[in-house]
Amino acid sequence: MTRSARLAAQGLAVALVVGLLALLIWRVANDSNKGVSQALNDGQHPTAPPFDLSRLDGRGRIDLASLRGKKPIVLDFWASWCVPCIHESKRLEAARKQYGDRVAFIGVDTKDFSGDARRWQRKHGITYPSVHDGSGGVLAKWGGLPIPRIFFVARSGKVVGELVVEEDLPRYLRQIAAS
Amino acid sequence: MRVLVVVFMAAVLAVPVAHASERHPTLDELEGEVMCPVCGTTLDQSSSPAAQQIKRVIASRIAAGDTKSQIKNQLVAEYGDAILAAPQHKGFGLLAWWLPIAGIIAAAAIVGAGAWRWSRRREPLLAGPPLDPALEARLNDELRRFDD
Repeated sequence: MTRSARLAAQGLAVALVVGLLALLIWRVANDSNKGVSQALNDGQHPTAPPFDLSRLDGRGRIDLASLRGKKPIVLDFWASWCVPCIHESKRLEAARKQYGDRVAFIGVDTKDFSGDARRWQRKHGITYPSVHDGSGGVLAKWGGLPIPRIFFVARSGKVVGELVVEEDLPRYLRQIAAS
Repeated sequence: MRVLVVVFMAAVLAVPVAHASERHPTLDELEGEVMCPVCGTTLDQSSSPAAQQIKRVIASRIAAGDTKSQIKNQLVAEYGDAILAAPQHKGFGLLAWWLPIAGIIAAAAIVGAGAWRWSRRREPLLAGPPLDPALEARLNDELRRFDD
C-alpha cells in the first residue's frame, strides 16, 4: 500500500469514528429533551408541539396547530390498555359538559390498537374526539410514558400546565377557558 | 463437498418450513418477532397490559386465518415499523439486512488481501540465497549415501 493510500485510509477511519461520535452526542442531547412535560417542570410554558393525526372515529383528521388562536385545548393521552386512563378520561368527559362550548377536548390514543381503542371509548362513554398515535411519536414530544398525561393549552397555543393532582383539573380548566 | 451437500439439503428443507410458517403462523413465533410498544422487549418477554393486548390481537388474527405477513402488516399500520423486532425486507429496512453482510465481506476481502500480500513479501526470505554449486553437489552425495 502506498503512503498516500495509507494516509487516505487512516483519514477515512478517523472521519468515520468522528462521525459516529457526533451521532452519539446528538442522540444523547436529543434524549435529554423530555418534551413539554419537562419544560413545564422547569417553569417554562412552551408552544404546543403540533400534530396532524387521523381521528379514531374515521371522521377525517385533527390538526392541532389549526386550533391555535381559536380555542383552548385539553389534551388527553390515553390507551385502552391503560387502567388509570379510564378514571381520568371519565373526569374529562364530565368536565366537557361544563366547558365543552369554550374548550376543545381532544384525546390522543397512543401505542394502542385502534379497534380496541374504539371499543374502549364506547364501553366507557367517552364522546370527545380522539386521534390515533400508534407509534407514540406525538406522545414522545409531550413527555412520553407513563400515561395518562393530560395537558392544558391556552388559546394562544402555549401549554399552561399538566394535570398532576385531581385539583389541577378545575383550576387549569378555569384558567384556559378565560384565556 | 460433504459440507456443501449438507448446506444444500438444509436450504431445501428450510423452504417448506418457512412457507408453512408464513401461511400458518403460531402465536409463539410471532411473540418473538413483535415488540411490546411500551417495554422495549419482544412480546414473549413482557406481560404488560399493552403486550397482552397485542397478543390477543395476534391470536384473533391467527384464528381468522391471516398469514404472518398480513398480521405483521396490520401491526405496522397500527403501531409503525418499530413494532417489528427486525426490520422489514424492503425499502430502507433492506439496508439493515445487507449492510452487515457487505461489511463482513469487505472485512474478509481486506484481511484476505492483507494476508496474501504479507505471505508474498516473505516468500523470498524463506527461500534464502542460492546454494554454492560445490556445496549443493556435496549435499546431494551425502543424501544419496544416506538413502543407500
